[in-house]
Amino acid sequence: MSDEFVRAISTDEIAPGGMKTVEINGDEIVICNCGGTYYAVQRRCGHMNAPLDMGTLDGTYLTCAMHCVQFDVTTGEALSGPVPPYFGHETPPPMMGEYLQNIGMLMKHVRTESIRTYATKLEAGWVQIAL
Amino acid sequence: MYTLSTCPWCRKTKKFFAERNIPFTYVDYDLADEATQEKISQELDAAGATGFPFVKIGDEVIVGYRPERYLSALGK
Amino acid sequence: MNAESRKRALHYFFEKVVGPLGFKFTPDTELKDFLLEQEVILESKHGIPFCPCQPIRHDRERDMQIVCPCIPFHRKHFDAIRRCWCGLFVHKDVIDPDSLPQLPPKEVGLE
Repeated sequence: MSDEFVRAISTDEIAPGGMKTVEINGDEIVICNCGGTYYAVQRRCGHMNAPLDMGTLDGTYLTCAMHCVQFDVTTGEALSGPVPPYFGHETPPPMMGEYLQNIGMLMKHVRTESIRTYATKLEAGWVQIAL
Repeated sequence: MYTLSTCPWCRKTKKFFAERNIPFTYVDYDLADEATQEKISQELDAAGATGFPFVKIGDEVIVGYRPERYLSALGK
Repeated sequence: MNAESRKRALHYFFEKVVGPLGFKFTPDTELKDFLLEQEVILESKHGIPFCPCQPIRHDRERDMQIVCPCIPFHRKHFDAIRRCWCGLFVHKDVIDPDSLPQLPPKEVGLE
Protein backbone atom coordinates (compact mmCIF):
# COMPACT_ATOMS: atom_id res chain seq x y z
CA MET A 1 0.00 0.00 0.00
CA SER A 2 1.71 3.17 -1.11
CA ASP A 3 0.98 6.49 0.53
CA GLU A 4 0.16 9.07 -2.07
CA PHE A 5 1.19 12.43 -0.64
CA VAL A 6 -0.36 15.57 -2.04
CA ARG A 7 0.41 19.18 -1.33
CA ALA A 8 -2.01 20.52 1.23
CA ILE A 9 -0.78 23.94 2.31
CA SER A 10 2.32 26.07 2.28
CA THR A 11 4.19 26.27 5.61
CA ASP A 12 3.99 30.04 5.75
CA GLU A 13 0.21 29.93 5.86
CA ILE A 14 -0.12 28.61 9.41
CA ALA A 15 1.62 30.23 12.38
CA PRO A 16 2.86 27.96 15.20
CA GLY A 17 -0.10 27.01 17.37
CA GLY A 18 -2.50 27.68 14.51
CA MET A 19 -4.83 25.58 12.40
CA LYS A 20 -6.23 25.84 8.91
CA THR A 21 -8.73 23.79 6.94
CA VAL A 22 -8.00 22.52 3.45
CA GLU A 23 -10.33 20.62 1.19
CA ILE A 24 -8.92 17.78 -0.88
CA ASN A 25 -11.10 15.51 -3.00
CA GLY A 26 -14.14 16.60 -1.05
CA ASP A 27 -12.59 15.84 2.35
CA GLU A 28 -12.20 18.71 4.78
CA ILE A 29 -8.92 18.34 6.63
CA VAL A 30 -7.49 20.52 9.40
CA ILE A 31 -3.73 21.08 9.37
CA CYS A 32 -2.26 21.89 12.80
CA ASN A 33 1.11 23.57 13.31
CA CYS A 34 2.37 22.21 16.63
CA GLY A 35 5.62 24.10 17.09
CA GLY A 36 6.86 23.35 13.60
CA THR A 37 5.57 19.77 13.43
CA TYR A 38 2.46 19.43 11.33
CA TYR A 39 -0.45 17.14 12.03
CA ALA A 40 -3.56 16.62 9.95
CA VAL A 41 -6.96 15.50 11.21
CA GLN A 42 -10.48 15.32 9.87
CA ARG A 43 -12.38 18.57 10.31
CA ARG A 44 -15.50 17.03 11.81
CA CYS A 45 -15.49 16.64 15.57
CA GLY A 46 -15.92 13.01 16.59
CA HIS A 47 -18.81 14.05 18.78
CA MET A 48 -21.27 16.11 16.77
CA ASN A 49 -19.28 17.06 13.68
CA ALA A 50 -18.50 20.66 14.67
CA PRO A 51 -15.58 22.25 12.75
CA LEU A 52 -12.47 21.54 14.80
CA ASP A 53 -10.46 24.40 13.26
CA MET A 54 -12.77 26.74 15.18
CA GLY A 55 -11.65 25.22 18.44
CA THR A 56 -8.34 25.75 20.24
CA LEU A 57 -5.00 24.05 19.78
CA ASP A 58 -2.74 23.81 22.85
CA GLY A 59 0.40 21.77 22.30
CA THR A 60 -0.93 18.69 20.52
CA TYR A 61 -4.35 18.92 22.18
CA LEU A 62 -7.28 20.20 20.19
CA THR A 63 -10.41 21.32 22.04
CA CYS A 64 -13.65 21.54 20.07
CA ALA A 65 -15.53 24.82 20.39
CA MET A 66 -18.95 23.26 20.59
CA HIS A 67 -18.87 21.00 23.66
CA CYS A 68 -15.17 21.12 24.60
CA VAL A 69 -14.35 17.56 23.54
CA GLN A 70 -10.58 17.15 23.43
CA PHE A 71 -8.48 15.23 20.91
CA ASP A 72 -4.82 14.31 20.67
CA VAL A 73 -3.95 15.40 17.11
CA THR A 74 -1.00 13.00 16.94
CA THR A 75 -3.28 9.96 17.22
CA GLY A 76 -6.78 11.31 16.68
CA GLU A 77 -7.81 9.83 20.01
CA ALA A 78 -10.85 11.37 21.68
CA LEU A 79 -9.65 12.13 25.23
CA SER A 80 -12.87 13.26 26.79
CA GLY A 81 -16.59 13.40 26.19
CA PRO A 82 -18.63 16.60 25.94
CA VAL A 83 -19.04 18.80 29.00
CA PRO A 84 -22.59 18.93 30.35
CA PRO A 85 -24.62 21.99 29.39
CA TYR A 86 -25.53 24.32 32.23
CA PHE A 87 -28.15 26.95 31.85
CA GLY A 88 -27.33 29.17 34.79
CA HIS A 89 -29.64 30.10 37.62
CA GLU A 90 -32.45 31.64 35.65
CA THR A 91 -35.22 29.21 34.86
CA PRO A 92 -35.59 29.16 31.09
CA PRO A 93 -39.13 29.81 29.78
CA PRO A 94 -41.08 26.52 29.90
CA MET A 95 -40.98 25.61 26.21
CA MET A 96 -37.32 26.51 25.87
CA GLY A 97 -36.56 24.59 29.03
CA GLU A 98 -38.28 21.51 27.69
CA TYR A 99 -36.58 21.93 24.33
CA LEU A 100 -33.15 22.13 25.95
CA GLN A 101 -33.89 19.15 28.15
CA ASN A 102 -34.95 17.20 25.10
CA ILE A 103 -31.77 18.15 23.23
CA GLY A 104 -29.77 17.19 26.31
CA MET A 105 -31.52 13.85 26.44
CA LEU A 106 -30.79 13.17 22.77
CA MET A 107 -27.19 14.27 23.11
CA LYS A 108 -26.60 11.85 25.94
CA HIS A 109 -26.88 9.04 23.41
CA VAL A 110 -24.31 10.49 21.01
CA ARG A 111 -21.05 8.61 21.15
CA THR A 112 -17.79 10.51 20.88
CA GLU A 113 -15.52 8.85 18.32
CA SER A 114 -11.82 9.32 17.83
CA ILE A 115 -10.98 11.27 14.68
CA ARG A 116 -9.17 10.26 11.54
CA THR A 117 -5.60 11.48 11.15
CA TYR A 118 -3.60 11.83 7.94
CA ALA A 119 0.14 11.23 7.62
CA THR A 120 2.04 14.44 6.91
CA LYS A 121 5.42 15.30 5.52
CA LEU A 122 7.23 18.54 4.86
CA GLU A 123 8.80 19.22 1.53
CA ALA A 124 10.26 22.49 0.33
CA GLY A 125 7.99 24.75 2.35
CA TRP A 126 4.86 22.67 1.74
CA VAL A 127 2.90 20.48 4.10
CA GLN A 128 1.97 17.33 2.26
CA ILE A 129 -0.61 14.84 3.40
CA ALA A 130 -1.32 11.26 2.46
CA LEU A 131 -4.88 10.47 1.55
CA MET B 1 -18.15 8.45 59.04
CA TYR B 2 -18.98 9.99 55.70
CA THR B 3 -16.59 9.19 52.88
CA LEU B 4 -16.21 9.09 49.09
CA SER B 5 -15.47 5.94 47.11
CA THR B 6 -13.01 8.01 45.03
CA CYS B 7 -11.00 9.43 47.94
CA PRO B 8 -7.69 7.81 49.00
CA TRP B 9 -7.73 9.55 52.40
CA CYS B 10 -11.13 8.04 53.11
CA ARG B 11 -9.70 4.62 52.34
CA LYS B 12 -6.84 5.28 54.75
CA THR B 13 -9.35 6.35 57.38
CA LYS B 14 -11.41 3.18 57.05
CA LYS B 15 -8.19 1.14 57.16
CA PHE B 16 -7.05 2.96 60.30
CA PHE B 17 -10.13 1.85 62.24
CA ALA B 18 -10.33 -1.61 60.67
CA GLU B 19 -6.69 -2.38 61.49
CA ARG B 20 -7.31 -1.51 65.15
CA ASN B 21 -10.51 -3.57 65.22
CA ILE B 22 -12.54 -0.49 66.04
CA PRO B 23 -16.08 -0.96 64.72
CA PHE B 24 -17.41 1.87 62.57
CA THR B 25 -20.20 2.61 60.16
CA TYR B 26 -19.73 4.62 57.01
CA VAL B 27 -21.69 6.06 54.13
CA ASP B 28 -20.01 6.70 50.79
CA TYR B 29 -21.63 10.00 49.88
CA ASP B 30 -21.16 9.54 46.14
CA LEU B 31 -22.86 6.16 46.13
CA ALA B 32 -25.80 7.22 48.29
CA ASP B 33 -29.27 8.17 47.08
CA GLU B 34 -30.29 11.80 46.59
CA ALA B 35 -32.07 12.11 49.95
CA THR B 36 -29.10 10.75 51.88
CA GLN B 37 -26.71 13.00 49.95
CA GLU B 38 -28.82 16.03 50.86
CA LYS B 39 -28.78 15.08 54.56
CA ILE B 40 -25.02 14.57 54.58
CA SER B 41 -24.51 17.79 52.63
CA GLN B 42 -26.41 19.71 55.30
CA GLU B 43 -24.48 18.05 58.08
CA LEU B 44 -21.21 19.00 56.39
CA ASP B 45 -22.38 22.60 56.07
CA ALA B 46 -23.46 22.73 59.71
CA ALA B 47 -20.00 21.57 60.77
CA GLY B 48 -18.24 23.93 58.35
CA ALA B 49 -16.71 20.99 56.51
CA THR B 50 -15.90 21.29 52.79
CA GLY B 51 -14.42 17.86 52.17
CA PHE B 52 -14.11 14.23 53.16
CA PRO B 53 -13.39 12.21 55.26
CA PHE B 54 -15.87 13.36 57.92
CA VAL B 55 -15.58 11.26 61.07
CA LYS B 56 -17.79 11.41 64.15
CA ILE B 57 -16.48 9.88 67.36
CA GLY B 58 -19.06 10.46 70.08
CA ASP B 59 -19.77 14.19 69.94
CA GLU B 60 -16.51 15.03 68.25
CA VAL B 61 -16.34 15.76 64.54
CA ILE B 62 -13.01 15.33 62.76
CA VAL B 63 -12.61 16.48 59.15
CA GLY B 64 -9.72 15.23 57.04
CA TYR B 65 -7.45 12.22 57.58
CA ARG B 66 -6.25 12.81 61.18
CA PRO B 67 -4.92 9.63 62.82
CA GLU B 68 -3.63 11.46 65.94
CA ARG B 69 -7.04 13.08 66.46
CA TYR B 70 -8.82 9.73 66.07
CA LEU B 71 -6.62 8.19 68.74
CA SER B 72 -7.13 11.05 71.17
CA ALA B 73 -10.92 11.09 70.57
CA LEU B 74 -11.09 7.32 71.13
CA GLY B 75 -9.03 7.65 74.26
CA LYS B 76 -11.71 9.79 75.89
CA MET C 1 -11.17 6.65 25.66
CA ASN C 2 -7.91 5.58 27.09
CA ALA C 3 -7.45 6.50 30.76
CA GLU C 4 -3.68 6.88 30.40
CA SER C 5 -3.89 9.39 27.54
CA ARG C 6 -6.55 11.34 29.40
CA LYS C 7 -4.37 11.45 32.53
CA ARG C 8 -1.48 12.78 30.45
CA ALA C 9 -3.69 15.47 28.95
CA LEU C 10 -5.01 16.52 32.37
CA HIS C 11 -1.46 16.66 33.66
CA TYR C 12 -0.47 18.91 30.74
CA PHE C 13 -3.33 21.36 31.27
CA PHE C 14 -3.27 21.40 35.07
CA GLU C 15 0.46 22.05 35.28
CA LYS C 16 0.00 25.28 33.35
CA VAL C 17 -2.72 26.47 35.69
CA VAL C 18 -1.23 25.62 39.08
CA GLY C 19 2.31 26.82 38.34
CA PRO C 20 1.51 30.55 38.42
CA LEU C 21 -0.48 29.95 41.63
CA GLY C 22 2.65 28.69 43.36
CA PHE C 23 1.76 24.99 43.29
CA LYS C 24 3.11 21.88 41.62
CA PHE C 25 2.03 18.25 41.38
CA THR C 26 2.73 16.29 44.54
CA PRO C 27 6.06 14.43 44.45
CA ASP C 28 4.12 11.39 45.72
CA THR C 29 3.69 9.87 42.26
CA GLU C 30 1.52 6.99 43.48
CA LEU C 31 -0.97 9.38 45.04
CA LYS C 32 -0.89 11.66 41.97
CA ASP C 33 -1.54 8.73 39.69
CA PHE C 34 -4.43 7.45 41.81
CA LEU C 35 -6.07 10.88 42.07
CA LEU C 36 -5.75 11.61 38.34
CA GLU C 37 -7.25 8.22 37.61
CA GLN C 38 -10.21 9.00 39.89
CA GLU C 39 -10.64 12.33 38.11
CA VAL C 40 -10.76 10.57 34.74
CA ILE C 41 -13.49 8.32 36.16
CA LEU C 42 -15.41 11.29 37.54
CA GLU C 43 -15.01 13.10 34.22
CA SER C 44 -16.39 10.16 32.28
CA LYS C 45 -19.34 10.01 34.69
CA HIS C 46 -20.12 13.72 35.09
CA GLY C 47 -18.37 15.30 32.10
CA ILE C 48 -16.17 17.31 34.48
CA PRO C 49 -12.99 16.32 36.39
CA PHE C 50 -14.17 17.00 39.95
CA CYS C 51 -11.99 16.74 43.04
CA PRO C 52 -12.10 13.09 44.19
CA CYS C 53 -12.28 14.16 47.85
CA GLN C 54 -14.99 16.82 47.96
CA PRO C 55 -18.78 16.49 47.71
CA ILE C 56 -20.58 17.10 44.42
CA ARG C 57 -23.60 19.11 45.56
CA HIS C 58 -25.51 19.15 42.25
CA ASP C 59 -25.68 22.92 42.52
CA ARG C 60 -23.80 24.66 39.76
CA GLU C 61 -22.35 27.45 41.85
CA ARG C 62 -21.03 25.11 44.52
CA ASP C 63 -19.81 22.43 42.11
CA MET C 64 -17.76 24.96 40.16
CA GLN C 65 -15.65 25.35 43.28
CA ILE C 66 -14.50 21.73 43.19
CA VAL C 67 -13.55 21.45 39.52
CA CYS C 68 -9.89 20.48 39.44
CA PRO C 69 -7.68 22.45 39.84
CA CYS C 70 -9.86 24.08 42.49
CA ILE C 71 -7.03 26.08 44.08
CA PRO C 72 -8.34 29.53 43.05
CA PHE C 73 -11.57 28.92 44.98
CA HIS C 74 -9.73 27.86 48.13
CA ARG C 75 -6.63 30.00 47.87
CA LYS C 76 -6.26 31.09 51.50
CA HIS C 77 -7.06 27.63 52.85
CA PHE C 78 -4.70 25.79 50.53
CA ASP C 79 -1.90 28.32 50.95
CA ALA C 80 -2.23 27.87 54.73
CA ILE C 81 -1.95 24.05 54.57
CA ARG C 82 0.46 24.17 51.60
CA ARG C 83 -1.53 21.60 49.69
CA CYS C 84 -4.90 21.28 48.06
CA TRP C 85 -7.58 19.22 49.83
CA CYS C 86 -7.00 15.90 48.04
CA GLY C 87 -3.25 16.47 47.93
CA LEU C 88 -2.82 16.36 44.16
CA PHE C 89 -1.04 19.71 44.35
CA VAL C 90 1.38 21.05 46.93
CA HIS C 91 3.37 24.25 47.31
CA LYS C 92 6.36 24.34 45.00
CA ASP C 93 8.90 24.01 47.81
CA VAL C 94 7.35 20.87 49.34
CA ILE C 95 9.59 17.83 49.25
CA ASP C 96 7.85 15.67 51.87
CA PRO C 97 4.09 15.78 51.13
CA ASP C 98 3.36 13.18 53.84
CA SER C 99 4.26 15.79 56.41
CA LEU C 100 1.35 18.04 55.38
CA PRO C 101 -1.79 17.17 57.42
CA GLN C 102 -5.21 17.49 55.82
CA LEU C 103 -6.54 20.38 57.91
CA PRO C 104 -10.01 21.86 57.30
CA PRO C 105 -10.39 25.68 57.06
CA LYS C 106 -11.57 26.02 60.68
CA GLU C 107 -8.32 24.62 62.00
CA VAL C 108 -6.20 27.16 60.18
CA GLY C 109 -8.20 30.10 61.39
CA LEU C 110 -10.42 30.49 58.34
CA GLU C 111 -14.24 30.86 58.14
